[in-house]
Amino acid sequence: MEIISDMLAIVQGKGGSIKPTHLMYKANLSHSQMKSYLDELIGKNLIKKEETDKGRRIAITKSGKDILSQYSRLREFEKTFGL
Amino acid sequence: MVKIVPTPDWFIGKDVVIEFFSLIILIIFTIIAYRYYKLNRNRNILYLGSGFGLIAIAQLATILTKLVLYYDIGPSEQIGQAIITSQILKSVDFFYYAGFFFHRFLTLLGLYVIYRLPRDRKSIGDYLIVLYFVLISSLLSREIFYIFHLTALFILILIAEKYLLVYNKNRFFNTKILMVAFGLLALSQFVFILSDIGVLFVLGNVLELISYAIFLALIIRIWKYGKEKKPYGNNIRYAGDSSGKGRKH
Repeated sequence: MEIISDMLAIVQGKGGSIKPTHLMYKANLSHSQMKSYLDELIGKNLIKKEETDKGRRIAITKSGKDILSQYSRLREFEKTFGL
Repeated sequence: MVKIVPTPDWFIGKDVVIEFFSLIILIIFTIIAYRYYKLNRNRNILYLGSGFGLIAIAQLATILTKLVLYYDIGPSEQIGQAIITSQILKSVDFFYYAGFFFHRFLTLLGLYVIYRLPRDRKSIGDYLIVLYFVLISSLLSREIFYIFHLTALFILILIAEKYLLVYNKNRFFNTKILMVAFGLLALSQFVFILSDIGVLFVLGNVLELISYAIFLALIIRIWKYGKEKKPYGNNIRYAGDSSGKGRKH
């Protein structure tokens, strides 16, 4: 869960879209891990692949933004109660 | 009939409004905890929600009982209908006592569940012993009203102290708010112990209202924080730091 929310946060932090390689480095994932998580996130419609002038990019979807907000609140809640 | 609730006449009804407000806050906490549990399957969150849920049911029990008691609806209507037999009076008394018993029992149980978190493994015997003492306190409070408030005060002090320790570890402002809210609830129980004097009963209720207002403020803070856009979120997996130092909000 943390990896997924961190990946979403990284994409969000880069203005909503990021190059796949940058995401891989920033999320500290191996290529195979990255591919597996990307497939999962795309399958859940949390991110999408985009073709732009600058090449392929990963973009966060509306559902991705919503789930990221929920994760942030969850972490806040857990931390507040020391859980 | 004996006076079951030490409410001054002018405060009748207002205490129910305060309890209704508390009920709403408790229900919100229960729903939030359940939703977050579904998100990450952290059982401690589920238990926390159960604790708040138990106290919410306790509040509901006292609200319903007081509504009947104050506004003579339901069973007490029969008293005024010239069929006042000792049997009816007994059943009405039983209704009040059952309502207030559930309030006391579920409140103490809920507070204990919150105190026990995060939950480590304990034997079933330990839980049975606590359940026994909670039951005894709730039953004894029928005759000696302050036993309930004394037990609640004791558990609430332990909860506030627990969050003080959590706060000393994480220095997180929300935890401080939580500690203050539980501290005020503890103080309200102390005031309730002396509530034979009507003014102190009112003061206890006001303190309770303030603590639940603080709980509401805490919910709003958590809600607002989740909406804020944070570059890289909490990305703390690699730093190994969950203290939140340097986090500005």
